[in-house]
Amino acid sequence: MNADCGHPAPAASLADAVFAELAHALARLAETGEETVVDLRSLPFGPADLEALAEKLGTGEVTVTLAVAGRSEVRETGWAGIWWVRHFGDGEDVVAEEVQVTRIPEILVSHPDDVAFAARRMADAVVTTGPQEPTAADEEDMSRG
Amino acid sequence: MAEQKTLGERLAEHGVSRRAFVKYASWLGSLMALPPATSRAMAAELAKAKRQSVIWLSFQECTGCTESITRSKGPTLEDLIFDFISLDYHHTLQAASGEAIEAARHAAMAENKGKYVVVVDGSVPMKDGGIYSTTAGHSNYDTLMETVKDAFAVIAVGTCATYGGIPKANPNPTGAVSIGDLVKDKPVINIPGCPPIPEAMTGTVAYLLSFGKVPELDHLGRPKAFFGENIHDRCYRRPFYERGQFAHAFDDQGARDGWCLYELGCKGPVTYNACATMKWNGGVSFPIQSGHGCLGCSEPDFWDKGGFYVPLSASIGPTAKLVGGAALAGAVAGVAAAAVARHRKSSLNKG
Repeated sequence: MNADCGHPAPAASLADAVFAELAHALARLAETGEETVVDLRSLPFGPADLEALAEKLGTGEVTVTLAVAGRSEVRETGWAGIWWVRHFGDGEDVVAEEVQVTRIPEILVSHPDDVAFAARRMADAVVTTGPQEPTAADEEDMSRG
Repeated sequence: MAEQKTLGERLAEHGVSRRAFVKYASWLGSLMALPPATSRAMAAELAKAKRQSVIWLSFQECTGCTESITRSKGPTLEDLIFDFISLDYHHTLQAASGEAIEAARHAAMAENKGKYVVVVDGSVPMKDGGIYSTTAGHSNYDTLMETVKDAFAVIAVGTCATYGGIPKANPNPTGAVSIGDLVKDKPVINIPGCPPIPEAMTGTVAYLLSFGKVPELDHLGRPKAFFGENIHDRCYRRPFYERGQFAHAFDDQGARDGWCLYELGCKGPVTYNACATMKWNGGVSFPIQSGHGCLGCSEPDFWDKGGFYVPLSASIGPTAKLVGGAALAGAVAGVAAAAVARHRKSSLNKG
């Protein structure tokens, strides 16, 4: 993490400030479980600041792409518990970008109501596809087996 | 109409999970500078909410506000709002007409008594008994008063509805007035602009729907989340202003080099709106970025403030006193408002 040595540009210092804030937030998550969200859009960040911060945070083991009202991208950084979340609108347009300090970003977790709805639909699916007449293919399988 | 299902259930039936609300709330929360915890609550509340009945009344207007809201970016995230509301009456967008649509308006009012939202674009003519604009045989005034009677809140969109706008411009031949001049017993949220930024309209509706309350407003009834900051303070050309580098003609070297447009009549210093940050057409640009000064269209009486190409400092004549005072007060208030906003955001990020 010495990539920014000899970089006196003010851009680097803004990324440093957010990095330090995230370090405190991560300590809070580790100690108390308290989560933090930093909205990158609310900061006077330019593309260079974002790059500097992304470089300092690095890349972890998980990258997820979601298709939810357009594309979203959730990336674990090199620090466990720090996630970089980008929401796209139409196409390649980033409409929201945040760093979340959490064990798992909320958007990845299946909502209990969605699970309940899926469970009902799946139960229906079991009933309709369950006790059916064996098809020709099934009988073929059975004769071979 | 008659929605019993929650928005979460409705979207689930269309194969969209509740993740859509998390994403929507992240986006809107960022636009409105809401604390992260509030965005989270918004996602949960939206999923549980019922579809909001919206009655949209169009009076003395040009339909530009409708153009703007129906073009709120792509066919994805921003369009979710149209799944969140039931637009029960809207002259331009409704399929029905005549008696049928007036009956639909009355049915929506009866079924959602005390809960529906009335959106109004356009000003109301009061001169000569209001005959200058009528629908279904009723004056705009009568339609407005009848419709807002049992509303939960009224949203005036566009500068005509919020301040009278172009119809009210001198000499105001129809006696046009704003919605806030007429509706006194309901919350009136003003979303001015000619037209307003689409996200300011949809964001305000989503906020009402999620929290069941009116967002924080400024002294002109505008949501602070969208109108809390000054165009000039957030303008990317501001450094040129500080250095005294001004374009003096639209084709001089200063204009080509992107210098400050103050001397060409830019009204940025006295205008509160989100154009400089949210921009237009999906964040592509805004007037100043395209080389033209701000007209100040989200401020009262912008049409009569001495000319779009007259510098604020040089305004003389009958409106000089008004504009000069407003310019000074606006500039000072602008700096303070921006400082407060920046402090607010940084403290939110700590939380």
